[in-house]
Amino acid sequence: MKRLSRGLRTLADCAPIANAKAPDRRMRTAVSRAKRIEGFAAQQSFDRAVAKLVQATPVSPEIQEWFPNEKMAEGAKRNWRKTALHPAILAIGIALAVIAVVAWIKFDEQMHAFPGMATAKKLLNVAAMTRPSELEPMQTEAGTLSDLFFMKYRLEHYDVPPEFSRQRTIGVRVFDDDEAGQVAQISLAEKRMQLFLFPARRDSKTGKPEEFEGWRYVEQEGWTGAVQAHKGILFMAVVRGPKKDLAPYLAAKPQLR
Amino acid sequence: MTGEASKAQDIFQDTLREAAFLAANGEPPADRCWFFREARWRCLDVVAHGVQPEHGASESTEVSPQAPEQIEQLEPEQLAIWISAAPEPQRSALALYYLDEFNYREMMSMLGLKLNELSRAIASGRREFQAWLNTTVPAAAPE
Repeated sequence: MKRLSRGLRTLADCAPIANAKAPDRRMRTAVSRAKRIEGFAAQQSFDRAVAKLVQATPVSPEIQEWFPNEKMAEGAKRNWRKTALHPAILAIGIALAVIAVVAWIKFDEQMHAFPGMATAKKLLNVAAMTRPSELEPMQTEAGTLSDLFFMKYRLEHYDVPPEFSRQRTIGVRVFDDDEAGQVAQISLAEKRMQLFLFPARRDSKTGKPEEFEGWRYVEQEGWTGAVQAHKGILFMAVVRGPKKDLAPYLAAKPQLR
Repeated sequence: MTGEASKAQDIFQDTLREAAFLAANGEPPADRCWFFREARWRCLDVVAHGVQPEHGASESTEVSPQAPEQIEQLEPEQLAIWISAAPEPQRSALALYYLDEFNYREMMSMLGLKLNELSRAIASGRREFQAWLNTTVPAAAPE
């Protein structure tokens, strides 16, 4: 076997006696190459003759009794349940599940993110912490407050969208926020809803307000807000509860603003 | 390996008992190699406390094309005696190899040998057995 590489020669030296039993590709390659080499045929004939003699070795009846069932030496096979409950597999599974959940949450957040989302979340906190006494009593239709905001506070385009313009208000205030700027907060009689109007975030390069189409939801600690952008102002309707509490108002046929 | 049927039976039973113990603890042997590996270690342990054979330098020669005819003239017991007289791990390697039930990976696993060690044990065993054959049953001279 002078022409075989060392590695293949090593394998060929323990080549399977029955050719069909080669366990892997390397061994099959070694056997295939060795067959072209002088001496390998003699080795195989030798091995087959010895194996035949081994097979012919008589086994005494008392030893045969030790092996009434050869399958008992096959070892136990793990079923899928046992494999799944193995601590290592379980730990990997849990880790993958956590990664998948976190990835899904991040993906979902990205899908529903919109300019001004951080400010909207902050104002959800404000809504949660505002007491009725902090607002100036004001009983009117929400849609009429645009004039008040413009005349009294010089706030342009602080318009309540048609979906909420007919709602009765019970209080209103305007305050300055470090991040949001000048914020108008309106408290409604219905479901203790609150409305917020605040400037949209501006693009740092162009200076134009960043807007988006339609309604976007934002949720935090049991409070839900539905946000809409219009003429550089973000409007947010806030309710304590899930999205479904706000959905009927947004689905209502809007009147002209 | 042990040279005595009673010792072999004890080892066999101890191995099965160990397997049953592991199974009872929820960690049954993963494959059949476990049984052979466990039984072999027990055999080696027993043999280490018994009378040790003298291992002299064995002659060796290349495998002859006439070897199959020479082997046919042997009794199975003669082969068993020759293999059992070989030093470890060559003895176990030859025994497992010529049982023709295991591939080289399984043999490496059971014997705790690297591929080149297994290969060397089998190849040198082959040559030494050929030398012994030439002495015991000389090949017929070609006509």
